[in-house]
Amino acid sequence: MANGAGPRLGEKARKTLDALRERYPTSEALLLPALHLAQEQWGGWLPDEAIEAVAGELGLAPAKVYGVVTFYDLYHQEPVGRHRIRICTNLSCALRGATEIVETVADELGVEADEVTPDGRCSFTGFECLGACDIAPMAMIDDEYHGPLTPDAVRRLIRGLE
Amino acid sequence: MPKVTIDGREIEVERGENLIEAGKKVGVQIPHYCYHPRLSVVGQCRMCLVKVEGMPKLQTACTTQVMKDGMEVKVDDPQVQEAQAGVMEFLLINHPLDCPICDQAGECGLQDYSFKHGQAFSRFEYDKKRVYPGRERIPVGPHVLLNMNRCIQCTRCVRFTEEVTGTGELGFFQRGARAEIGVFPGKQLDNPLSTCVVDICPVGALTSTEFRFAERVWYLDKEPSICTGCDVGCNITLEHREGKIRRYKPRANPEVNDYWMCDYGRGTFRRYEETPRLTTPLLREEPQAEPQRLAWSEGIRRLVQQLAALGPEDTSAFLSAGFCSTEEAYLLRRLADAVESPHRGTTLEPGEVRRIPNPQGGIEGREAAPNRRGCELAGLTPGEGGFSATDLTEGDAAGKCTLLVVADADPGSRLHRPETVERLRRAAFLVVLGWGESPLSAVADLVLPTTTHAESDGTYVNCEHRLQQFERAFPAPTGARPAVDTLLEVLAVVDARWRDLTTAEVFERMAAEVLAPAEVSFAGFPARGLSLGDGEAAAG
Amino acid sequence: MAFEPILTRNVGNPDVRTVAGYRRAGGYEALAKGLATEPDELIEQVKLSGLRGRGGAGFPAGVKWGFIPKGNDRPKYLVANADESEPGTFKDRVLMEHDPHQFIEGCALCCWAVQANTCYIYIRGEYVRQAEVLEVAIADAYREGILGDNVLGSGFRLEMQVHRGAGAYICGEETGMLESLEGRRGQPRVKPPFPAVVGAFGCPTVINNVETLCNVPHIVSRGPEWFKQIGTDERNTGPKLYCLSGHVERPGVYETAIGATLDELLERAGGMLGGRELKAFQPGGASAAILPADKRAVPLDFDSLAAEGSMLGSAAVIVMDETTCLVRATRRLAAFFNHESCGQCTPCREGTNWSEMVLDRIEAGEGSAADVELIRRICNNMGGTTLCALADAAVGPLRSLVDTFGDEVEAHLAGGGCPLPERRYFEEAARV
Repeated sequence: MANGAGPRLGEKARKTLDALRERYPTSEALLLPALHLAQEQWGGWLPDEAIEAVAGELGLAPAKVYGVVTFYDLYHQEPVGRHRIRICTNLSCALRGATEIVETVADELGVEADEVTPDGRCSFTGFECLGACDIAPMAMIDDEYHGPLTPDAVRRLIRGLE
Repeated sequence: MPKVTIDGREIEVERGENLIEAGKKVGVQIPHYCYHPRLSVVGQCRMCLVKVEGMPKLQTACTTQVMKDGMEVKVDDPQVQEAQAGVMEFLLINHPLDCPICDQAGECGLQDYSFKHGQAFSRFEYDKKRVYPGRERIPVGPHVLLNMNRCIQCTRCVRFTEEVTGTGELGFFQRGARAEIGVFPGKQLDNPLSTCVVDICPVGALTSTEFRFAERVWYLDKEPSICTGCDVGCNITLEHREGKIRRYKPRANPEVNDYWMCDYGRGTFRRYEETPRLTTPLLREEPQAEPQRLAWSEGIRRLVQQLAALGPEDTSAFLSAGFCSTEEAYLLRRLADAVESPHRGTTLEPGEVRRIPNPQGGIEGREAAPNRRGCELAGLTPGEGGFSATDLTEGDAAGKCTLLVVADADPGSRLHRPETVERLRRAAFLVVLGWGESPLSAVADLVLPTTTHAESDGTYVNCEHRLQQFERAFPAPTGARPAVDTLLEVLAVVDARWRDLTTAEVFERMAAEVLAPAEVSFAGFPARGLSLGDGEAAAG
Repeated sequence: MAFEPILTRNVGNPDVRTVAGYRRAGGYEALAKGLATEPDELIEQVKLSGLRGRGGAGFPAGVKWGFIPKGNDRPKYLVANADESEPGTFKDRVLMEHDPHQFIEGCALCCWAVQANTCYIYIRGEYVRQAEVLEVAIADAYREGILGDNVLGSGFRLEMQVHRGAGAYICGEETGMLESLEGRRGQPRVKPPFPAVVGAFGCPTVINNVETLCNVPHIVSRGPEWFKQIGTDERNTGPKLYCLSGHVERPGVYETAIGATLDELLERAGGMLGGRELKAFQPGGASAAILPADKRAVPLDFDSLAAEGSMLGSAAVIVMDETTCLVRATRRLAAFFNHESCGQCTPCREGTNWSEMVLDRIEAGEGSAADVELIRRICNNMGGTTLCALADAAVGPLRSLVDTFGDEVEAHLAGGGCPLPERRYFEEAARV
């Protein structure tokens, strides 16, 4: 950060944000979109420099941005795998075997929740209701919903990830 | 204005006034943590729940505004008490209860309310308390320590940095029971008013690095006073013990510093500790000689003698640096009058800009001395053909003086720069009145020890021409005397009407002379001070 | 009795995802009709229809619209609540995925009624694909003159923007959503002022749930009288989407007239999973008090469920069979509320946390007799004492556990833990 040049959002992200500016009366309102973009740029999580970049872009205090980041479950403050597996563990899925899906995924990946596999490929976490109880038990792998899952089905899905 | 009834007591309030403030006016204290009159109202601690007639649920007093006549509020009510006890229980289940080692003990909102509104037991005895490992002693900035285990998530501190200083160093992080306050990694809470978060923290989560473990607060005595760090004149509570100032806390005055004061000012009391005190009159017969210690009567006699010896060919000058009280300056002026000297001046002591937010948008001090305007008001300005302070401190006017009296020698003054000392020393006889040893007192012919603002009564006039009063907190060390007493004694030699006056009487004489027709008495001095009108023009 | 679907009539017809296809199915006729109607008249129609909010609180939609001040001194906003996060709820997802233009049309009608020129669709961050469907549909609508400077040639200007959340249940709360939309932590605001007066960006704002808005084109097309005929009574009107989940054969969204009973829904969903016995159900998502099996014939509408001490909420019906441990189920819900409490209000922040700990130890066999009383006290101290309804929501299932299913709690206390084995769903499925 020499010469006052802090970390910056990439060209693409800034262009997207610029296009959004006219859609909102305040620049603060761009914070959630900006953080989604930054998380994409920084490989699925938001290191401190990503937070500073967003804060700088929108003219907000880093502490404020950090407060927002830590409020929302989809923003990560620790590195994640290339593929992120979120397994719904709320009641409707729990009634249909979510616990066993979590155990299966942990066993398949050989890591605990929120850890990244040594090859950087995957990380998983138990998650609150994802709004897909019709396909319980279910999981969200990257941006896609999968369910109803069985232990075998989830193993196959994971093995198919690059 | 609408009327509201709180616990049977009716009061008329401004439309939109909240119930906590309305309660204060009728003597009903509604307990609260997150509410602060100068911060946005968030209604989140839920301690101020009260019963409002006609509302099905209890309402938070902080968010409930009196909009029209007829609102009936119950605070002394079993349902309200149950809710308060419920909130207290929730707040205490995870509190470490480490009061014996907590600096806040004695001025802690949790302690106060748990006696009054809580229950005698904690249901949480068998449960594990939530802790924030590694977050028990974090220096969040140069002046403030954070102990997250004690935090009750009221977010006053966060709102302070967002709304009052606008610096936003503190944030509210995480969610729910994991919610915590803190600074962004690598950043510091280092704005000029940072220690105010310690004042507004209702518990021991934020404590002052400087004051930490210095004193148990219940041993401290308190006196209303004025900060001497600059010409804002922040209203303070001077907290002291055994003749020593232990800390300054801001004392609310919306016309001046509101609820705040700067970190710099807060630390300025240390100058009174660090500088060795002058405690006996000193006389230097030869320029380089060791000074001779005099009895007070002798010290006074020497000054009187110098004044009496002034002949028509002699020149005498009277100088202040804006650190002395208005009353001292006034008496010094009267002394100049007595010897018909037009050579009177007050030096300008440039300082850093100190800005304190208040409801008018803020107040800005630019001088290092608290009372240049008071000194000028009292008449310490050049008479016709008289030397100015600049002539004395930067020119060679002092060299023309038979007698030069410098009525104050605060070590913070620019008078103590070597080149200025050298110029002032050119006077044939140099008298210095001061409370601490200084380069100037070290070369003076006659030194008369005085007191600090903590040891005497008086007034200052701040940068917005507000006359403000400070009161003696503790006695001066043996041998030091208020300059007012010393100057009165000298004056009384030439004019008996100055005999045995009190500071209050001096003030009233001065007021009659320079403030007329303002009616103000020292005993009934307005708590928020007295505005003397606007701008520099008032002081001439 | 077969209910002819209204809101879900286009589900399974991918054609309607384009403006052209939606028009072929009769779409956007309501919007044209609405734009030819005076805004106040439109509000009146929605009031007359008796449409109540489908997000959880059940507030009459037309009344809410009526709160928006007239005049154009400040911008007005519609924020469509697509933050569907109440556990057990997935109806809005289905509506947005399958029939995005029905939703857009509902939004546009609402905007015309309250004279808002900007609509934000606040969609939960996890609905990535659904947000994409909406964005594609909105772009199409702009191209086709449904949105933009001149909606259907009426001169009315309407901008629509999808705004993704980032994973926080509390953002489904109206003012938490507004905070989040404005780029802050989704902490609910002090009310009053209500959003109708001071809402998004300090301006008058309507916030309506997706399903609520999807009803509007049909009210406009077919009239409030038609709408009022559907349902239990005049306070519970219109079609309703029920989300059936848990131990049922075919979990899913079922549309029927508001006021169906659990038995009627179970019949359509193929009955209880594996033919087991019903033990309990939550009629309105995680926040609703859990009802015992003998309430299976209660009409699932706003007032009937309120009378039973529960609520319709988002109409997420979570069905639990005889193998379910209700202490464990409630503990899972308590964990959810603990996780989702925003942390502002003391009773919610501490109460949700504490109640999970107490249920933990009861489930683990480490509870004591005093814990039942403790849960009641936590409920008392949380209920009705906070800024928003999350604490009340957390109290819902908790209180029903000790009040309705106290014997299960007693069995845990007496037997040193859960008397029911943890159900291994897949092992069991393999055996069948």
